[in-house]
Amino acid sequence: MAFTIIDNCIGCGACTRICPSGCITGEKKELHAIDPALCMECGACGRVCPSGSVENLFGQIIQRVKRPQWEKPRFDHKTCMACTICVEACPTGAIALGDPSSKDPHAYPVLGLEKRCIGCGFCAKECPVAAISMAVPAEALPA
Amino acid sequence: MKKGYMGKVLVVDLSTREIREEIIPDTVYKSYLSGMGLGAWMLYNRIPANADPLGPDNMLGFMSGLLTGTGSLFTGRWMVVGKSPLTGTWGEANCGGHFSPAIKRCGVDGIFVTGKSDTPVYLYCDDHVKEIRDAAPLWGKDTVDTENTLLETVNRPNAKVACIGPAGENLSLISGISTDKGRMAARSGLGAVMGAKGLKAVVLAGTKRIVPHNRDEIKRLSQICNRWVQFQPPFIAGPLTAPVGALMRILPTVLTQDGLLYKILLRKWGTVSMNQMSPEMGDAPIKNWKGTSKDWGFSKSYSSNPDVFTKCERVKYHCYSCPLGCGGICLTNGKYQETHKPEYETVLSLGGLCMNQDVDSIFYLNELLNRMGMDSISAGHAAAFAMECFEKGIITTADTDGVELTWGNPKAVEYLIEKMAKREGIGDLLADGVKVAAAKIGNGSDEYAIHAGGQEPGMHDSRNDPGFALHYSVEPAPGRHTNGAGLYYEMYQLWKVAKGIPKIPPMYLKSSKYKTSKRHAEIGAVNSKFMNVINGAGVCMFGSFLGAKRIRIFDWLNAAAGWNLTPEEYLETGARIQTLKQAFNIKQGIEPKANKIKNRALGIPAQPQGANKGRTVDVDAMMADYWEKFGWDPSNGKPSPEMTDHASQAAQNIEPLTEKPREKADGVYHN
Repeated sequence: MAFTIIDNCIGCGACTRICPSGCITGEKKELHAIDPALCMECGACGRVCPSGSVENLFGQIIQRVKRPQWEKPRFDHKTCMACTICVEACPTGAIALGDPSSKDPHAYPVLGLEKRCIGCGFCAKECPVAAISMAVPAEALPA
Repeated sequence: MKKGYMGKVLVVDLSTREIREEIIPDTVYKSYLSGMGLGAWMLYNRIPANADPLGPDNMLGFMSGLLTGTGSLFTGRWMVVGKSPLTGTWGEANCGGHFSPAIKRCGVDGIFVTGKSDTPVYLYCDDHVKEIRDAAPLWGKDTVDTENTLLETVNRPNAKVACIGPAGENLSLISGISTDKGRMAARSGLGAVMGAKGLKAVVLAGTKRIVPHNRDEIKRLSQICNRWVQFQPPFIAGPLTAPVGALMRILPTVLTQDGLLYKILLRKWGTVSMNQMSPEMGDAPIKNWKGTSKDWGFSKSYSSNPDVFTKCERVKYHCYSCPLGCGGICLTNGKYQETHKPEYETVLSLGGLCMNQDVDSIFYLNELLNRMGMDSISAGHAAAFAMECFEKGIITTADTDGVELTWGNPKAVEYLIEKMAKREGIGDLLADGVKVAAAKIGNGSDEYAIHAGGQEPGMHDSRNDPGFALHYSVEPAPGRHTNGAGLYYEMYQLWKVAKGIPKIPPMYLKSSKYKTSKRHAEIGAVNSKFMNVINGAGVCMFGSFLGAKRIRIFDWLNAAAGWNLTPEEYLETGARIQTLKQAFNIKQGIEPKANKIKNRALGIPAQPQGANKGRTVDVDAMMADYWEKFGWDPSNGKPSPEMTDHASQAAQNIEPLTEKPREKADGVYHN
């Protein structure tokens, strides 16, 4: 299963630049294609596509969203068990482990490289104890 | 593919430089699981009889677990399998860290390396590129330097490295493979196999997702497990663990162990929590297995009490998907400022086994061994062996550059390990383990070489728990302490979920533990079967100690792969894997009887004092009973050829994947 690019594609290359698995190919100003064997359905291509050309598994067009308004993970450190599943689940290496506190010697995850986050939500999906929620940062919400 | 496993393996031939993916039939996973089971199936079919472990015919497998990455907990173990150069038998090593999910993220369940490269190379895999690269500039570097250099070179998010250090390069038969800057897959000498193949490292940077059949059900079971892990009442101070151990020694009854207690110790201190308790109980071998709990009393073991290790712990270390975090990163004042917290095995093998009370030397040697890529259990045994030879006059100061190898001399332990790491002088003799060293030294030194089939046993005394004697002697990879023991069986609590296996009462007479009985073999067989299921699933043994009702491994497997197997059927799978590993040994010309652990570890002659006073283990009878339990010939431990027909038949259905991995268009990766 994989996402697909439809004929609306203008060949701008925004999707190839953001795709974390490097599965999109195509010449400039020509129709791009997603390699179904490599696509991991993160949806980042659709969120950056200026021409609304990426379809998800259900045939729906993924809406373009301005990058500051992409959902980002929020970590509930009270529920978190520091198991590092989210760190490994992140396809872009955006999640890092924070420093331990004087009371708690375990290192909990933080969004260390926020700019790398593509809002795929794999961290939240893979967290076994639902300690991660995906939300648009408050400062990015319209007033 | 929603099955939890990836359904493919990568096969790399370093001689021809060919890399190909092979599709593994689903029936193989159902019959042998993934992980070590899949490894056993591949190696049984692919390694020719009487192969040279250090030659091109040997195949080395890096395996992930079936449950790795499915949302289950304690399932980040990766395993290395191959023919062991140390024992000549089936070789296996098991390690935590974050390498296991990295294997699956490359779209395969295991990476098998065969052949031999003339020049040093490393293997690089990601979603697009799978290639053998030059490692000449890395040859000679220690494991931490190698890992740092490779991570910098490939510059990919979440790249993971497994590599060997100078010990593996020098073909030391007690060398291992390191990941995460010093977590070691140390046993069976498989680092030397990598060294012999010229393979310095494996670097993985795939991004494929691991999709189980029913992630919600797995998460539900994980949450049950996590609730038990997070239950952590305040506990006594470190040095007070010693009287607890002493009490367990004195009591005439055994209180059946609940793994929850051990979990509490692990979460607070890690495995070092047993540093004082184990010697008091009689569980830790002292002074090259000839000492007793009296030689390593409170005052001597105090220097390595658990609090010493947590005091300098900067942060707890969690392996992938581990809610417990028994590891730690410690800061020290020695030569190396940062090191992984030494494990119990390391502390006792470099400490009590050599009578060494200097904990600073243990911190230093732990990091040195990790960097050199050497097994600390075997290295500690080799040092203790040398010390006993020195005591008996077989080795003199003329052999040791004037260093006095007296018991408890930290400078002597440091000298020996440093020499072994560099393979210089006496270290060259010892770097292949005690069996090889004794054969070279002669003069009756064989009596002081404690090993089973060539491999030095773990730091758990077989005179205290006869289960260890059985597993050290009878496992296809002899001398390993993590395959089973009476104590482990108590903690697994398998009788709560599976029918037809022995039940342990909450309390029983200690004397019954040392009576010859068929029950030992019965329990041992279940232990081995269950351990094969664990190793197929990639589960951590410490996690499984929580008890079968608290950590639902069988249910996780069903939810991940979409199967509907019962615990009894999974144990049958475990038996099938064990038979295959044993058949591997028979194919390689191994006589199972020859792997019996040395007499001293069996209490022949019995110790005159201490916790294990007067105890002798009749392991011959236990071995015969154990073989019978698997349906093998009880007189020699050989399975009949028909028992492995299934494995050979399934091997004929393998399809090589012909399509080549596609190159990325612009050769650049973006984030």
